Amino acid sequence: MASIAAASIAAPAVSGASATDQLPDFSSELYKDAYSRINAIVIEGEQEAHDNYLSIGTLIPDQAEELGRLARMEIKHMKGFTACANNLGVTADMPFAKEFFAPLHGNFQTALAEGKVVTCLLIQAILIEAFAISAYHIYIPVADPFARKITEGVVKDEYTHLNYGQQWLKANLETCREELEQANRANLPLVRKMLEQVASDASVLQMDQEDLMADFLSSYQEALLDVGLTSREIARMAAAALVG
Amino acid sequence: MFGLIGHSTNFEEARAKARSLGFEEFAEGNLDMWCSAPPQLVERLEVTNPSGKKIEGAYIDSCFVPEMLSRFKTARRKVLSAMELAQKSGLDITALGGFTSIIFENFNLLKEQQIRSTTLEWQRFTTGNTHTAWVICRQVETNAPRLGIDLRQASVAVVGATGDIGSAVCRWLSQRTGIKELLLVARQQQPLLDLQQELGGGQILSLEEALPQADVVVWVASLPQTLSIDVDKLKSPCLMIDGGYPKNLDSKANGAGIHVLKGGIVEFFSDITWQMMEMAEMANPSRQMFACFAEAILLEFEGIHTNFSWGRNNISLDKMDLIGAASLRHGFEALSLSLQPDASLAMAPA
Repeated sequence: MASIAAASIAAPAVSGASATDQLPDFSSELYKDAYSRINAIVIEGEQEAHDNYLSIGTLIPDQAEELGRLARMEIKHMKGFTACANNLGVTADMPFAKEFFAPLHGNFQTALAEGKVVTCLLIQAILIEAFAISAYHIYIPVADPFARKITEGVVKDEYTHLNYGQQWLKANLETCREELEQANRANLPLVRKMLEQVASDASVLQMDQEDLMADFLSSYQEALLDVGLTSREIARMAAAALVG
Repeated sequence: MFGLIGHSTNFEEARAKARSLGFEEFAEGNLDMWCSAPPQLVERLEVTNPSGKKIEGAYIDSCFVPEMLSRFKTARRKVLSAMELAQKSGLDITALGGFTSIIFENFNLLKEQQIRSTTLEWQRFTTGNTHTAWVICRQVETNAPRLGIDLRQASVAVVGATGDIGSAVCRWLSQRTGIKELLLVARQQQPLLDLQQELGGGQILSLEEALPQADVVVWVASLPQTLSIDVDKLKSPCLMIDGGYPKNLDSKANGAGIHVLKGGIVEFFSDITWQMMEMAEMANPSRQMFACFAEAILLEFEGIHTNFSWGRNNISLDKMDLIGAASLRHGFEALSLSLQPDASLAMAPA
């Protein structure tokens, strides 16, 4: 049902539309500076994804071949994003990115050492992939033409990775529900902190923090629904990132 | 399967609703958290018509609240994400309730067909405005005579005449009811002139001019908070159909001889087990609902999986006839005044 809209909602429509129609100045120092960190995060993320999939393969040897295939795709992505930086004449700030990923990396390594497949999959194949997918979706409309093309290709692959984690967890849900909740509680807040840490750089790239968080939660929720959790369970899990 | 996309009428109510549905953590969250929260499929329901045909559907809460209206990007995302969820949930025809269709229309979301990896299929959605317009017209035709208002001698004012629902109501009233005078009220002059030409009649007036002349007033505009109505200048009796959103007319026009009826509300012939209409403050929540929601239910019963109501000013009398006949056939009835013998106060269902 609709009626004539209040004047209060007619006005922002105009300003909102014009704000998204204009792309950032890709050659400005401000943009390149912010890009050096965001791009580094993406490169580091793809590299770690590669390493993580190979590691998970050691925990579930019968899946090692498939995981090796996923890992190789991540290296291809990493090369693509390295080319994006070169194209803009930017040097990726890799030390920043390594530190950025350190807490999540640490949690993954701990889980790996303890042989916790569920936790490893949640961190890499669900959390990180869902985050990457939503960030890439938000980046694509404001990316430079070169990076746009690369990112569009990458995002398609990442869905297959997210799907891999979903399928495995779905098949093993009854035995992994508890670990899933624990892993979520320990790691989802880290993703939120990571997002806050790069919010100002992301906004230089015209990527809005609230959009990033909302799209990430949508992707995350969708993945967990597919795994077989109920929407109430997911809301409870998502709240671990949102509240407090 | 049919779908309904709705939202709470305000933030506090949204939190209370979340609590009652078992989303405890959402209930604790602040407005910023709600801005980032994804839409939720909160309820699945079954509806059976008088001839025993059963259909299934789902209610999606967009997690939008009117407090977010000033945040363009948030409002846009809420609507598109809820539509994405409806489509991914396999809902064939989904009604956009409350502010959802208003945001869709005003923010021109028709050009935002791609949301993440999903291409929205417009044929899966309907604004529900055709049924809303039909119900409002029916409410005028049924309730005016009950107050002793003879429509052939009556002046009917339509406030918000140039909108999607308003223009459809004007078309119906001028061609189907034989009312004496149609008074057209809206903010912008040019669309009013266009409408007047299309109708081949109707008098363009300001709200202040129209109200004292009107035996019936159909409100299909959102009322500004600051609007005040001088009830002493209104006719008695005066039938007021509150067809806007949100429905707040009964607090503004209340007095002897003034009868306020919630417009665009229908009542189903039997109880439906769902929690959502309770939240929408319906007088009889297991049977009453917004006519726009009912449109999705009707289209599902009829097997019409198309965007039946779409765009602006596309509502024809033929379509109103079609949806109106379906409405009656499948057990809906337009909400009526509950007149009591000594009625002297506003009759809006509380």
